[in-house]
Amino acid sequence: MILLQEVIHQLYFIMAALAALLLLTRLFRRKSRRGLAYDIVYAYAIIPFLLPALHIK
Amino acid sequence: MVRRMALLAAVAVVTVAGTREIRELRTYRETVVVSEALTVQVPLSTYFGGIKGTVMDAPVYVFDSGVPGGSALILAATHPYEPASPVMAYVVMENIAVTKGKVFVIPRASMSASTLGMLGNAYPAFFRVKTPWGEKKYRIGDRETNPLDQWPDPFTFVHYPSRQNLAYQDSRNLNRTFPGRPDGNLTERTAFAITEMIRRERIDLTIDVHEASLGYPVVSTYVCHQRAEDMCAMASMILEAEQRFKMKTEVSPKTLRGLTHREVGDFTESFAVLMETPEPFIDKFVGPMTEDLLLTGRDEFEQTAAERGLLYADYDIKTGASLDYRVARHLAGAAEIIKQMGEFYPEKRMDVSWPTYAEVMQHGIGYFLHDPATADPRRVFRN
Repeated sequence: MILLQEVIHQLYFIMAALAALLLLTRLFRRKSRRGLAYDIVYAYAIIPFLLPALHIK
Repeated sequence: MVRRMALLAAVAVVTVAGTREIRELRTYRETVVVSEALTVQVPLSTYFGGIKGTVMDAPVYVFDSGVPGGSALILAATHPYEPASPVMAYVVMENIAVTKGKVFVIPRASMSASTLGMLGNAYPAFFRVKTPWGEKKYRIGDRETNPLDQWPDPFTFVHYPSRQNLAYQDSRNLNRTFPGRPDGNLTERTAFAITEMIRRERIDLTIDVHEASLGYPVVSTYVCHQRAEDMCAMASMILEAEQRFKMKTEVSPKTLRGLTHREVGDFTESFAVLMETPEPFIDKFVGPMTEDLLLTGRDEFEQTAAERGLLYADYDIKTGASLDYRVARHLAGAAEIIKQMGEFYPEKRMDVSWPTYAEVMQHGIGYFLHDPATADPRRVFRN
């Protein structure tokens, strides 16, 4: 049970990192919806995935 | 490109600035200058490795006289947002003298719960106690384990081993998870570690230190496992006669599961006692939940409730229910129940002392807290 919880915990960090990378890529490289509003949305959406780096998962 | 880089930088600034208070609360450590009676400090994981390396691996302080006698555990901040509890433990740790028996103190039983505030109550993260040498700062905290450390909650929390259904958030409430289980969630494992410690150290008396709202019937009360009922009743009478403050005794209900006064009594040999003081700060109908309210206990809405007979304890806004008063009550309550254990069971007698009710009421708690900057560094610990 404890091992399983730890595995899920680590999976969470991996998934958060992947999501952050995806959003970051989309912020800088995308072919459609290139306006300022979309830039703001992509940048804003990264915030929850930055929190683990501050030890706030 | 420049615009996007600027946006990214702005987001980073907002993230760091917006989480400053959360990070401060999670990383701030309280200092305590322990008395010369300290024998050893060990992590709670000494008794159960399943919490090692987690935020719940709280320090345990042992004050052993070396003279055979009884033993007692002061379990504080099971619910951190009842601040007279950890402050009482700190006053004990800084001033205790033990000449017979052994005292264990866990000043922060739920370390995780002390690292967040209660949703919706909008109270400050810290409070400060004035001392002759300056201020000492403490975390206020919440009632339950931080969701950052234990998440998600179940739809219904099923207590182990009774299988009683409790509210979902009780899966993070340390005082609903006793006796705990080794393969449970973090809160259950912490409860198990404390129960294991009580078993292995053969602790005779467990005193779980709490505070209660005045709108809650179990306020100003000893709640005792049935094996401790007689000593609690005697301690109540003596406190009322000698210290002049009201202290009821209630026997732990057998159907109320997960609490220390029930499960520690059932699953260990220890006498289990829980103490409550009157704490306006945690009442639901008070005005702004400020640091001042926490320290003075003065609130006009509480006074209105008192005048309408809605409270379960005496209340007067002129005197309030100050932190000094509540800590003094706990110090006297713990000292008296330890004394009564020795009266009922002479082989468990202990000789311990710390500031009395009268001394704290006269000088205030700050008088009994020492300056870590000028103390012997070997006696300074951080929690």
